[in-house]
Amino acid sequence: MKKSNQLNRREFLAAAGAAAVSVPYLIPSGVLAGPGRVGANEKITMAHIGVGGMGGYHLNDMVERRDKGQVNIAAVCDIDKNRLVNALKTAGSGVEPYHDYRYILQRKDIDAVVIATPDHWHAVQMVHAAECGKHVYVEKPACCTIEEGKAMVAAAQKNKVSVQVGSQGRSQPEAYLAHRYLVNGNIGHINRVDCFHYPSPEDDNPVPDSEPPAELDWDMWLGPLRWRPYNQRYCHGTFRWLLESGGGQIRDRGAHVMSCAMWWMGADGTGPVTVEATGTAPKKGLWDSAVLMDVTYTFKNPDWVLTWRQMPNDKLPKAEERTGNEPGGKISRPGYGAIYRGDKGEFIHWGGDGGTWAEKKAREWELPAGGKDVYKSPGHKEDWFKGIKTGAKTIMNIEAAAGVANLCVLGNLSYILGRKLEWDQANQTIVGDEQAQRMMSRPQRHPYHL
Amino acid sequence: MAQTADTARGQGVDELIAGIKSAGDKERTEAWQSAGEVGAPAVKPLAKVMTDNDLEVARAAKRALWKIVRYTGRPGANKERRAVETELVELLGDDQPVAVRREVLWMLSEIGARNSIKPIARLLRNEGLREDARMALERIPTKRAVQALKAGFEKAPEDFKINMAQSLRNRGEEVDGYPCQKLVPTKKTDVKPL
Repeated sequence: MKKSNQLNRREFLAAAGAAAVSVPYLIPSGVLAGPGRVGANEKITMAHIGVGGMGGYHLNDMVERRDKGQVNIAAVCDIDKNRLVNALKTAGSGVEPYHDYRYILQRKDIDAVVIATPDHWHAVQMVHAAECGKHVYVEKPACCTIEEGKAMVAAAQKNKVSVQVGSQGRSQPEAYLAHRYLVNGNIGHINRVDCFHYPSPEDDNPVPDSEPPAELDWDMWLGPLRWRPYNQRYCHGTFRWLLESGGGQIRDRGAHVMSCAMWWMGADGTGPVTVEATGTAPKKGLWDSAVLMDVTYTFKNPDWVLTWRQMPNDKLPKAEERTGNEPGGKISRPGYGAIYRGDKGEFIHWGGDGGTWAEKKAREWELPAGGKDVYKSPGHKEDWFKGIKTGAKTIMNIEAAAGVANLCVLGNLSYILGRKLEWDQANQTIVGDEQAQRMMSRPQRHPYHL
Repeated sequence: MAQTADTARGQGVDELIAGIKSAGDKERTEAWQSAGEVGAPAVKPLAKVMTDNDLEVARAAKRALWKIVRYTGRPGANKERRAVETELVELLGDDQPVAVRREVLWMLSEIGARNSIKPIARLLRNEGLREDARMALERIPTKRAVQALKAGFEKAPEDFKINMAQSLRNRGEEVDGYPCQKLVPTKKTDVKPL
């Protein structure tokens, strides 16, 4: 389906007349603003796909915006009936519930979708939404395979939709301060960024496979993944700790911390030439992502090194003492962040997601006359809304997000295969390793495919 | 000399299986992580343990088998890879449990070559395994795999032709009819709006 499949004004008026007798559809903003764009003063009409976990957060956030008159919420969708019922209670009347997100994509009155399903659904649903002309906010990590990332980029570009990926660290107030501090050479030329994170968990309560609960559509939860029996330790939330779906801390938080690194290093659109990972496997249970992990990404032209380390808690850098009056407040998640190493000094930040905390020297540094300022996000959702209304590139656009996801994916691939990988950024492929090349994509179950 | 090497490999397999069957989490983990170099001789013994009643033992055996697949798939190890492929293909037979065969199909999707195509294609006729077989063939980057998909499409029952068409299109083939269903909604909810 192409963008041209969206209704024009005349078609909309005809369709609206027919629809008025059934569902109280909202006027699609794009009809009033011109093809694909929402007018500057018009409300964007939203639908939420996946409304548990982060999806619940996004829905609550959007309800607040709706109540302030900023957006409309037309629909919510989940394959877990309990979650869907709860989402309806949150969203209130006038919001249509769906089990199958594709009904939402068929609705012409919906401008944009927020996708907060498990990671293995992100690419498929984003591509489908783009193909139906919807603007997309999709949770991180963008994708689970290299080929999924390519498909997401292609779909967004072809269909000219605005995509924001949920690595919201880039939009935090202290991320702006850190970025500005670093690009003005305060620690000199940066040749190394060391990301740190506490370990991925081990399953301390493994259980046998069982029948799925009645409220859950297990087949559709699995979606593109190969079929396997339901297991209580492999579903909402816990999918993060399996390599095939969540990919462990490196893909979960790596998509935040390494997103900041790529942004601040001006490295969006670039990639490493080699990736080498080691790690320790869980000793029991279903979860198989690396508990401790050590990944080295080597970049060339310019030359720098990025590392990702999941380390024991007692090895983590000590968090800065704070009063709580700083732009980002107190550091509530000190267990991850990154150390930037330059030839004139070092800089550290904690967090990198919804909480991003920059070291004091960056917060207190003032931009001198002639200094280089950087883009200051108005907020991650506001930045997306701007993209929808103006066509401006979002701060965590799909090209950048797929690049960051590639780092996470390649790190896990090197760990799984137990060998160093060579990466060809220009051609977006692994070099000289046929098995690794096959693993750049993963065949998907019918009909849940790109 | 050859006999000595065979004996050493046999001991390696015995030690591996003993480690996999160990009651200790640490011992099992060390065992499956060391499986890569044991290679092809361990494939069938490990497959037997994959259905052990002890979940952790079964899981360790599966992980050991995957370790072998990932190790022998490395560049420059064609002879080892082929030996493992040969062993894996023999595990696709009807005498093997479905869970083992499904896992083996995905292993062959990573390292399978010419010798895997026919045995995988045969499973396109097995209702419980045909979807995994289709995906395994789709991933094997050879013309023979595409030919097998085409032949599978021709012979497929009507309800599976659409799946086969999906694979063929993903491999760049044109398919008449059986249009893509990915955007067609099918599942309604009984939850009512407030």
